[in-house]
Amino acid sequence: MATIELERLVKRFGPATVVHGIDLSIQDGEFVVLVGPSGCGKSTTLRMIAGLEEISDGTIRIDGRVVNELQPRDRNIAMVFQNYAIYPHVTVAENIAFGLYRSKLSKSEKRRRVEQVAETLGLTHLLERRPSALSGGQRQRVAIGRAMVRDPAAFLFDEPLSNLDAQLRTQMRIEIKRLHHRLGTTSVFVTHDQVEAMTMADRIVVMREGRILQVGTPLELYEKPVDVFTARFIGSPTMNLLPASLKDGGAALAVGGSVRAPLASATSSEILVGARPHDLVPSSAGSEGLTVSGTVAVVETLGSETLVHIESAGQTIIGSAPGRQIPRIGEHLTLHAPAEKLYYFDKATEKALTAR
Amino acid sequence: MTAVAQREAASGGLWSRMSLGQKQVIWAWGFLAVPLVFYVVIRFWPTFQAFYLSVTDWTITKPAAFVGLENYKRLAADPLFWQVFRNTFLYLILGTPISLLISFVVAYYLDRVRFMHSLIRALYFLPFLTTAAAMAWVWRWFYQPVPIGVINDILASFGIPQQPFLRSTSQALPAVLAPAVWAGLGFQIIIFLAGLRAIPVTYYEAARIDGLSEGAILRKITLPLLKPTLVFLVVFSSIGFLRIFDQVYNINTNDPGGPLNSTKPLVLMIYQTAFSSYEMGYAAAQTVVLFLILLVISLVQLRLMRDR
Ligand SMILES: Nc1ncnc2c1ncn2[C@@H]1O[C@H](COP(=O)(O)OP(=O)(O)O)[C@@H](O)[C@H]1O
Ligand SMILES: [Mg+2]
Repeated sequence: MATIELERLVKRFGPATVVHGIDLSIQDGEFVVLVGPSGCGKSTTLRMIAGLEEISDGTIRIDGRVVNELQPRDRNIAMVFQNYAIYPHVTVAENIAFGLYRSKLSKSEKRRRVEQVAETLGLTHLLERRPSALSGGQRQRVAIGRAMVRDPAAFLFDEPLSNLDAQLRTQMRIEIKRLHHRLGTTSVFVTHDQVEAMTMADRIVVMREGRILQVGTPLELYEKPVDVFTARFIGSPTMNLLPASLKDGGAALAVGGSVRAPLASATSSEILVGARPHDLVPSSAGSEGLTVSGTVAVVETLGSETLVHIESAGQTIIGSAPGRQIPRIGEHLTLHAPAEKLYYFDKATEKALTAR
Repeated sequence: MTAVAQREAASGGLWSRMSLGQKQVIWAWGFLAVPLVFYVVIRFWPTFQAFYLSVTDWTITKPAAFVGLENYKRLAADPLFWQVFRNTFLYLILGTPISLLISFVVAYYLDRVRFMHSLIRALYFLPFLTTAAAMAWVWRWFYQPVPIGVINDILASFGIPQQPFLRSTSQALPAVLAPAVWAGLGFQIIIFLAGLRAIPVTYYEAARIDGLSEGAILRKITLPLLKPTLVFLVVFSSIGFLRIFDQVYNINTNDPGGPLNSTKPLVLMIYQTAFSSYEMGYAAAQTVVLFLILLVISLVQLRLMRDR
């Protein structure tokens, strides 16, 4: 177990800088998820921690020790790859035992460790099989087994669930989470899937174009996104953002509707009002908050609730109706969100305004 | 409805009753049939013909008469055959490992080179495209004595005595083998490179994290994963060396087979028996022996190197 600290970490590939001096401090035993769109530098950051990529500038410390120049094997970390990276020509047991390659344990002790790990992951009956005889989920478990068997200072995961189908992904998500709970090993998990990030992380690091936008617990990111990017990235369906102009004390929406809410000092008069679909429900109320109306264009029936897409002045706004109350397409509908559930952003800088 | 129309309807019905899978099979076989027939006529028919000729005494001038295993008995008693047999195996057991080792080492390092990668690869592949006759000329010149031969020039500049190479009974075979190995390298390197490229990079990265050294990665990951490539190249290159002919024939055009037949391979013996002595029956028997050797060696290799 260990802490991991990144200090002004930079990565350049030739003339292109793909990681722009990021700072991050990961606590001992923490499960941190790096999340962001594809190509934002998550894998590169993770691979620098692992030692698979050289560091162009900055410092990486694992457990207080600077590891910039250390070989991957001397960093005592373990990594799980998207394509599993388990070897097709050896058995499951031998694959897991690769994790102990450098360990000085006796042969029988190694064998015992492998069996113990297999037991934990429910792989015992598969130990003598070749990977080709395993399902995707089992292969990923073997890869995790190889990482676990060494008892490393930290686990690094690079999109380990991306090759699995949706159901298996949900299941493995829970398994990894449970494993982390049991072992308490510091983990850095890379994904482009915000649901994975939200469900697994102790802390989420949102990245974009080689920079960290925001670091926080899933709830912090959900409730206090610092900018439009995070606001839209976290939460599903995506937050509605409605352009509005500030006018003495209130704001005029560009779309059909109104917003009446206490707005703190905004530096600019053009803003975006954000409302999550779950907070935007059919209501005729004219109380404080956001009221928008439009024509129902699409309804998505999910059972527990119904997502309603309404169109107003050329913009689509998503709201949610109770499961049993399904609006008809073409119907005129008014949606309302209470004032305390609204988000405000500066339209020009896309930064959050301190209205709440 | 006439009877013909009914029959047509019935057969049309048969075609339309067949499943898509069955139709695909029929189409596939339809297309395969032509090359298959061609192949049988071109390859198998002469092979059977050779088996037949090998038990006759056909010599072109005189009609073939059945002589039983006479040709094979003569072959077993022929000292030249055993000399040639030994030469052929020397080409095989020296040529295959040496050429595979060299081409693997080149491919292994070339795989890591980005700079001028394509140019280097092309340079290695060039000899494979060159005709054996042209290459033999160049190599023959290499092997000349001082002051013409490059190799002897270099040896002389280090004060090493001149070597006879092609003129020596002990050096001639390796001297002929060298250009043969060289000529095949390009092909083997390309195949090895393709095999190496097919191994996912993350295998190596995972191994580096687990702490395997370069040597251990080579032994435990690269080589085992290259096994299919290796099996293919071993069999392919073995067949090549067992059938070696044009390299040998061209490097010593005035005396094919080298001093005291020291470089003569089986194929050259067959060629000379058939087209210098016109003993077609005897040559056919030699062909059959070569065929059996190729068959046995290929099968044994495939068997030994097959997955557990
Ligand atoms: N070896 C490399 N050479 C050049 N550019 C690279 C290399 N690896 C990654 N990149 C670039 O760095 C950026 C970040 O990549 P990566 O960290 O893999 O993103 P992701 O967040 O999807 O994991 C991408 O624009 C990618 O094209
Ligand atoms: Mg990635």
